[in-house]
Amino acid sequence: MDTWLEGEVKLKPVQELEKNEVYAVEFQGVSTYYFGEAKPAITNVWLKIPPKSLTLIVGPNGSGKTTLLETLLGLLKPKFGRVKLLGYDVPEQVNVARRMCGYLPQDFMRPPGEPFSVKEIVGMGLASNKPFGKLNENDWLMVEEALNLVGIDDLANRPVGRLSGGQQQKVMLARALVRKPKLLLLDEPFSALDETSRRFIAETLLPSLIEDGCTVVMVSHDVSFKPKGCTMTVRMNSGRIVEVNLR
Amino acid sequence: MISGLILNALLAGTMAGSLCGCTGVLCTRMGVNTIAFATAHAALAGAALSLVVGGDPIVLGLVLALVTAVILGPLSDHLRIPLDITSMSMFSVYNALTFIFLIISPGATLASEKVGQILWGSVLAVTLNYLIVLTTLTVIYILFLVVFWGRISSILFNPKLAEAEGVNVKAYTYALVALAGAVTVFTLRITGGFLVFSLLFIPAASALQLSENIRKIVLAASLLRLTSAITGVGLSFTLHLPVGSCIVIGAATILAVAATLSVFKRKRLLKTISFQI
Repeated sequence: MDTWLEGEVKLKPVQELEKNEVYAVEFQGVSTYYFGEAKPAITNVWLKIPPKSLTLIVGPNGSGKTTLLETLLGLLKPKFGRVKLLGYDVPEQVNVARRMCGYLPQDFMRPPGEPFSVKEIVGMGLASNKPFGKLNENDWLMVEEALNLVGIDDLANRPVGRLSGGQQQKVMLARALVRKPKLLLLDEPFSALDETSRRFIAETLLPSLIEDGCTVVMVSHDVSFKPKGCTMTVRMNSGRIVEVNLR
Repeated sequence: MISGLILNALLAGTMAGSLCGCTGVLCTRMGVNTIAFATAHAALAGAALSLVVGGDPIVLGLVLALVTAVILGPLSDHLRIPLDITSMSMFSVYNALTFIFLIISPGATLASEKVGQILWGSVLAVTLNYLIVLTTLTVIYILFLVVFWGRISSILFNPKLAEAEGVNVKAYTYALVALAGAVTVFTLRITGGFLVFSLLFIPAASALQLSENIRKIVLAASLLRLTSAITGVGLSFTLHLPVGSCIVIGAATILAVAATLSVFKRKRLLKTISFQI
């Protein structure tokens, strides 16, 4: 089942694809630098993530996990190498691919005066995929469903700035989910959640998404925590992939 | 004759006021105040240039403002200088150019009526043509916001996330900055170049004190700016003072009242919370 890909440091395993499938994520020798920095934030990354899988990317703070996600989404431009997102070249075709992705960023906390309600924020998740960004009745029903799914439907009309950190993180998760993504990118999704919520998301929500055909890539600095159905764990350190473990 | 002038000034003040209030809130939320600042000064420099080369100050102001709005982002990317620094550098250049154009313009410089209109604004500059153009701009602005509000609000909330979801953040930002430039150019005639920037941001600051809902904030800023415009025009006619200055004083008074109300509101909220605890 497993094949092996030549990388810089060591051999990295990848899973073979079924006919007519494309890798959800492909990094081919990618190095990304921050503006004005001489040292790359990620160095010579080779990685392939198959569809309908759950990949966990772990590593200490500053190891390049978030940079990897932002490079994948075309928010950061790599200096070397090639990135493919859902089979589309980044950055040339990135906007097409982005519309099929859901993203939960690491920095989700909003100030108390934030003038948007929970419902509005989740609805924004659909704006990029709709003509002119206009939502119809059906879209608002999808928003309600997403809120219900993460258990915050009672907060729909509350200003987001008045919510706790955990509630705000669930709002952003609902925004990522409402898009019905083919690829879900989660950056430290459990950082503000309580044990019950973590367990629900890791053991029920994410596996059900994968069953429905979604690919999940989750970044975490907590190496002890592994969600159910995780098929690949990628360990990063100092901007490099140092280990890849298949289930 | 006077009543016609007052009516024109009030109509212009109402439209320009609403546009300014709205623009101020959007620029503040998007963090592009410095770009709006540079664009506004480009408009001022363009208007001043018209004194030297002839032509309509609005047209030259508009051209320079739009060019600035369009080139600032790519220029910053190309030079690899942060956008704020690029904007403020352009602002300084436009300021210098404005004074040079005013000094080298033919005739008695600072005392001339045309220069006065650019620097301090004048209700006499509000003509029927001006009102028609201002109405067109208002309609375009409102249509743009209404049609694209879903994506604009996404950018206002978190531009990076909006971009990650496939919204063309740069295009919308440049469009809004270009509209901000156009608003500045047209408001310049009533309030003058020195005061137009404060009118973009004082109503936004007032509205942020009063509401926690983005739609209400945009609406409140427009209404507050409109109120200060009507008050300012009235005061200007009554006391024979420059109309722009009177509008700014009106806007600043509203900000003071809004800030005071906000303090009481916060105190009341704190009391409620401590009572619940």
